[in-house]
Amino acid sequence: MLEILPRLRRFATGLAGHPSDGDDLCQMTVERALANRAKWQEGTRLDSWMYRIMRNIWIDETRSRARRGQTFVDPDAGERVGGEGGQEARVELNNIDRAMQKLPDDQREAVLLVMVEGYAYKEAAEIVGCPVGTLNSRLVRGRDALMQMIGDAA
Amino acid sequence: MTPTPEQIAAFADDQLDGEERDAVATAIAADPALQRQVEAHRALSAKLSAHFAPLMDRELPETLTAPLEPREAEVVDFDAARERKETRRTIPRWGWIAGPALAASLALAVVLPRGGSDDAPGALSGELASALDSQLSATQRADADTRILLSFANAEGDYCRAFTAPEVSGIACREADGWQLERLATGSEAGASEYRQAGSDVSDILAAAQEMARGGGLDAEAEAAARAKGWRD
Repeated sequence: MLEILPRLRRFATGLAGHPSDGDDLCQMTVERALANRAKWQEGTRLDSWMYRIMRNIWIDETRSRARRGQTFVDPDAGERVGGEGGQEARVELNNIDRAMQKLPDDQREAVLLVMVEGYAYKEAAEIVGCPVGTLNSRLVRGRDALMQMIGDAA
Repeated sequence: MTPTPEQIAAFADDQLDGEERDAVATAIAADPALQRQVEAHRALSAKLSAHFAPLMDRELPETLTAPLEPREAEVVDFDAARERKETRRTIPRWGWIAGPALAASLALAVVLPRGGSDDAPGALSGELASALDSQLSATQRADADTRILLSFANAEGDYCRAFTAPEVSGIACREADGWQLERLATGSEAGASEYRQAGSDVSDILAAAQEMARGGGLDAEAEAAARAKGWRD
């Protein structure tokens, strides 16, 4: 599990859009995975299983925070990031981060899983729990939106 | 054929195979506009990978690695002695409970809570009591003010919880009339000279909890069940 932690943490940061929210999410994922380790089936991919746990926690968190009327760190508040998280959390929020945060959650996770984490469509669809075709079209919509926001001159 | 946007993206990601792949490749080869789309997809992929790659190189904080590191020898011995047959199963349980707790012990200031004059000595109330009532060690937030280190049943069969909070750290057991403080860690980082300097309150507390625990710590399920019963048997 230690081996996949850096990747898991990257995915968490991408989902949460903020390094310290990402680390909280990552820690909750590790704790839940350990508490439920009996449910992991030997021979299946541990990383996919943990990504699935993470995105489920993230969905729960997003809903409960929305209910409580709280918001995450403002995506446009790039210059403030790092003040609360200490130096290692100082990751520059740039136009890519801001564009990512403007994507709907389902598109953002599809983009992260495939384009950043390098999962095949089929594996990503299994993590998210949707048909491959659905994942494919979320991905297309997410990509189109990103290209518009950050410009085609990639 | 005219490829759909989905097919073009999937082609750019090398996610098509067989006839579909050949058909899409042929269509793209014949149309410079489609070629530009494929290039744009790939450029975006490269840009995103490059943007997120540095996140992999960050040093992992202890809060994330501690739960995965081997537990303290002392805890192993306790477990082995108490529940020999369950040793394998209990390794992660103790590991992830003790790890972050020990890490958190570094800057812990501990004072004795003073209840009102009506309270029995050691009776806990307020935020701490409600954290003891409601918080589960499996699901609590890493940065919660009060963290549950371990839940267990003592020799009398009462549920007890080892905890650490900003102002107090110790073990409380659920008596008929509420949470009763059983043990208290003494120690302070911040130069409060009236308190004994103790570097590892949390490990002291955990060691005391191990002494008191009848059958080892509760696992996540047993803990949740105990909460459902209001911590009363």
